[in-house]
Amino acid sequence: MTNELPVKDEVFPKDTSKSYAIVEMVRGDSPMVGKGPDDTVFSFPIVLLWEILLLLGVTLAIFLFSLAKQAPLDAIANPQITTDPAKAPWYFVGLQELLEHMHPTLAGIVIPGVLVGFLMSIPYLDNSREFAGVWFSSKRGKRIVVWTAVYTVIAMVAFIAFDNAFSIRETLRGVAPPWVAQWVIPGLILAVIVLLPVVILWRKKGSARDIMIALFTVMIVSAVVLTISGFLFRGPGFEMYWPWQMPDGYNPWDEL
Amino acid sequence: MAQSKLVKGLTHSRVWRSLFRHGWPDNPLDRSLTMTSNIFFHLHPVKVSRKSLRWQYSFGLGVVATILYGVLIFTGVLLMFYYVPSVERAYPSMKEIQLSVPLGQFTRNMHRWAAHGMVLVVILHMVRVFYTGAYKPPRQFNWVIGVILLLFTLGASFTGYLLPWDQLSFWAITVGTNIASYAPGAGPVMREILLGGTEVGQDTLIRFYTLHIALLPLSLALVVSLHLWRVRKDGGLAATEVPDGEG
Ligand code: HEM
Repeated sequence: MTNELPVKDEVFPKDTSKSYAIVEMVRGDSPMVGKGPDDTVFSFPIVLLWEILLLLGVTLAIFLFSLAKQAPLDAIANPQITTDPAKAPWYFVGLQELLEHMHPTLAGIVIPGVLVGFLMSIPYLDNSREFAGVWFSSKRGKRIVVWTAVYTVIAMVAFIAFDNAFSIRETLRGVAPPWVAQWVIPGLILAVIVLLPVVILWRKKGSARDIMIALFTVMIVSAVVLTISGFLFRGPGFEMYWPWQMPDGYNPWDEL
Repeated sequence: MAQSKLVKGLTHSRVWRSLFRHGWPDNPLDRSLTMTSNIFFHLHPVKVSRKSLRWQYSFGLGVVATILYGVLIFTGVLLMFYYVPSVERAYPSMKEIQLSVPLGQFTRNMHRWAAHGMVLVVILHMVRVFYTGAYKPPRQFNWVIGVILLLFTLGASFTGYLLPWDQLSFWAITVGTNIASYAPGAGPVMREILLGGTEVGQDTLIRFYTLHIALLPLSLALVVSLHLWRVRKDGGLAATEVPDGEG
């Protein structure tokens, strides 16, 4: 694999000493004129058949799933009796897990805000054109994904487990003001976790794309770890339990 | 073209010719016309590159998200025939759907699993678009549109979560909307606007219902149309641009 994109003109090399040329006569059904031989297929019926097949497949999958598992319906809502645990839907339970470890404004407002801002600005932070349409861009990109993912799993699991065992909030109570325990320390820990791969790539002269790959991987893997922790490892009182030792017969899967 | 008498009679009939502006699509011309003269098929160009159809490139995730949206509209409209968004009747109407409406439980199951599936698939679609670098020029803005679609999808799912009005939904929404109140300064006001009061009640239910069955699905339809139109205007999928022998 080369680093340069091959010159597109190679399909029909130009001969500069001639002002015209007949290049080739081909029998074909392509409406593309003035371009090299193309590798295209008719949308009708090929793409359409693909889509119909997907439609049938997806519908069948939901059909089977709906036969196998019933949608849950708990007792009627009662504002007087809190359920225990009270969990957000699975796609927000990662945020709920984050709330356990820092000031709610940091976990619930600042971090989600930064993430949405980051997502929206990715194309403007990395405005390279190379390797669009190639998975992980290159072998190097793939290595960055693997290493960053492994690193993030370890770092985030360690952070959650450490804070759960020696609650930073409780340990520092009376020692440091609450804003240190709830804003500065967790904020710094997360900043270091996020920025470490960036600094390493920076020193290795990584491209903007490399850095985006690292940041996005940290984000998505952290979200997965937090979601699994909040969904599977939190039981009554939103306390930590091993999933196979959940008390009171609590089963998070019943609450999907 | 070897066309049977039947096909010929059909495609030359007045009714056919009033419906379709093309002949039987067994030749390049009519296959092109099938696409260009049909508003639904016109989402696609007449021909697409083989590379963009490769399964391992896109895993069809965007198409699956679109299909799930369709399943949700279909099953959601069916549920709307029975569901009543009032604190007194919401839960009993859920029970009724499950116990006495023919295929009611099944329709509800389909709606719920398709909803979870759509959130998951949209996230996976975003992950695939990111790692294939398909946000790069000229597709930057379609990525931004995508982020908006992700937020709308989460919103649609979250507002629907309250509607059964059982303990599960009530407390999940209470926990979820509490987060809004932590915004500095405007937090409590924001939560109150969201809930239509200081706690989850009738005003919340009708707000979430309206968002869930009207505002968010319509916004999604609009923005998904824009998204798909731009995929085409940006020259099809980014895979098309990969020179032969790479990727
Ligand atoms: C309701 C949600 C969404 C729907 C229905 C949807 C639908 C689609 C479809 C059908 C395609 C064609 C290719 C494919 O099937 O993969 C596509 C491509 C694309 N989508 Fe989405 N999408 C959604 C959300 C998103 C999100 C969350 C993002 C990113 C943040 C995004 C960014 C893109 C981009 C950049 C392309 C072009 C990909 C390429 O050129 O390879 N979309 N979308």
